[in-house]
Amino acid sequence: MAQTVPSKIGSTQQARSPAETLLSIRNLRTAVSQGEDRFDIVRDLSLDIFPNEIVCLVGESGCGKSITALSVMRLLPTPPVRAIGGEIQFKENDLLTLSDKEMRKVRAEDIAMVFQDPLTSLDPVFSVGSVMTEVIKAHRDLDTNTARTMALEALQEVGLPDPEKRLDSYPHQMSGGMRQRVLIATALVLDPDLLIADEPTTALDVTVQAQILEMLLEEQRQRHMSILLITHDLAVVAGVADRVAVMYAGEIVEQAPVDELFEDPKHPYTQGLLHALPHISVKREKLIPIPGVVPPPQMMPPGCRFAPRCPYALSRCWQERPELEINAGRPLRCFNPQPFVA
Amino acid sequence: MKRIAGRTLYTLLVLFLASVAVFYAIRLSGGDATAARLVASATAEDREAFRELLGLNEPIHQQYFTYMGRLLSGDLGVSLTNSSDIFKMLTFHGRNSLILGVTAFTLVFAVGIPLGILAARKRNTWVDGAVMTFSIGGMAVPNFWLALLAIWLFASVWGLLPSAGCCSPRQLIMPAFVLALEGIALTVRMTRSAMLENLESDHVRTLRAGGLSEARVVNKHVLRASFIPIISLMGLRIGQIVGYALVVETIFGWPGLGQVLVNAVLRRDYPVAQFFSLVLVAIVVAGNWAADIGYSLANPRLRKT
Repeated sequence: MAQTVPSKIGSTQQARSPAETLLSIRNLRTAVSQGEDRFDIVRDLSLDIFPNEIVCLVGESGCGKSITALSVMRLLPTPPVRAIGGEIQFKENDLLTLSDKEMRKVRAEDIAMVFQDPLTSLDPVFSVGSVMTEVIKAHRDLDTNTARTMALEALQEVGLPDPEKRLDSYPHQMSGGMRQRVLIATALVLDPDLLIADEPTTALDVTVQAQILEMLLEEQRQRHMSILLITHDLAVVAGVADRVAVMYAGEIVEQAPVDELFEDPKHPYTQGLLHALPHISVKREKLIPIPGVVPPPQMMPPGCRFAPRCPYALSRCWQERPELEINAGRPLRCFNPQPFVA
Repeated sequence: MKRIAGRTLYTLLVLFLASVAVFYAIRLSGGDATAARLVASATAEDREAFRELLGLNEPIHQQYFTYMGRLLSGDLGVSLTNSSDIFKMLTFHGRNSLILGVTAFTLVFAVGIPLGILAARKRNTWVDGAVMTFSIGGMAVPNFWLALLAIWLFASVWGLLPSAGCCSPRQLIMPAFVLALEGIALTVRMTRSAMLENLESDHVRTLRAGGLSEARVVNKHVLRASFIPIISLMGLRIGQIVGYALVVETIFGWPGLGQVLVNAVLRRDYPVAQFFSLVLVAIVVAGNWAADIGYSLANPRLRKT
């Protein structure tokens, strides 16, 4: 295995063996079909998640973060999008080879997911309690009353005001923040080992965002679960992550513990992201944007996918594809890393 | 509750306006009411006396109040042509129309909804293609032509079904299907597109992420959300069936309300024409009212306001 995961800096934990991994994505390839053609939206993606940690997957819109998450959940819109290569090891199983029935057991029970838009992600014609009860009963052989009690406890735990009343509420009777709490309660009600949260706070007010994140952190600590948090917001990353994986155009380009990544980003794309961020301790005349946009899957450059936007691109970068290799102690996909100037 | 009360008031207002419109329209449509009863050789004086007798020389609004007063006290009057009791006509022809209309309405949804679900679940396969081709055909074919085609094929050529008449089940088959076909076609399309929209929606993805089986997701959640547009379709369909019944009953010689109304209008049989027009209006309005109520019950976003 080329890329081992570095130990967490600043924690007591030692480098961990692969046997301990909760989720191990290996060389995942997810592609979209358009007629006869097929384009990769996620390519050669490898990522490990250990028990009891928060990993952030960061990148611009359209870089494949959500597709990665949906690949793990096997909830891709197939057709046209399909995971066509690699492995996703969870406990003893490769999720990609499970039957539909086995995969249904994994969802919510082992791996749960919270989606981006709380306004559209709740069933509009069923009450909160009835949907939660249905999810519980799909996994556990319980009577309705017991399931309802479990649902109520989950709603209490995520800090939803007036939870008894909310069991019989419909989504349109609640605010965005309350709906996101309901979605999180539904995801946590069966006590999963891994929660995948896809931009859970993007659609919310800033003040509500902070409350929801705080609540998620609290749940993570209490339950000793792991979270894969997908976000484009580096401020969120800095606040919650143990480790960070930076994605660009369907590939992971750099992976590091959060402190190291913010202190010493190696990949020019990561550096660009940090330059584009206002910083409290460094006075900048201007924020520096990364020029250009992420190329669409149909028009990927043959070499490094970031080369067209990279200030340090060499001629080699245009021709050869860099692999994700351990470079300066961390997985990095770059031929020409430069020291970071804040 | 507030919404339901509001819709009910609104419905009563529509009924009132419709009764005024029907009353005026019949009187202003020209033609001679006395032709319904008097022989062609009747003198001008005879005709004038007959008009006076019927109160047709009164101002129209006064005629309206007199008529409505009698109607609300249960006196429906008699036909000008043959003096038959209008209440008896209503029970006999109404029963026939009800059999035909309810059968057609049931066919529309009992056939249309399952076909639409099938097309949505098998989308972009030959099954979907076949169902959608049938649906486009069903909407394009005019019912009077379809009626004649059906009579020619099933009655004349193959001799499978009686060409006209009432009211055995075998006689019911053709008019009911002809009356229902356009509705079936429309229901198929509507059900399919509502299902597809919901199948790919965010809230359905949440349910899948909760580990619910695909059958449960589709048969309970997607279907329930898709029923909301279908319910409003049901209300409109009642109106369509009432309208088409005029044509279909006439072609198939089905002695229903539509046939009575067409004949009464042709003969200027005022009491019959205006009463049965009102009955049909009331059915259409009641259908829309029921759809509105059903819509509120199915859609929690409208339930508690």
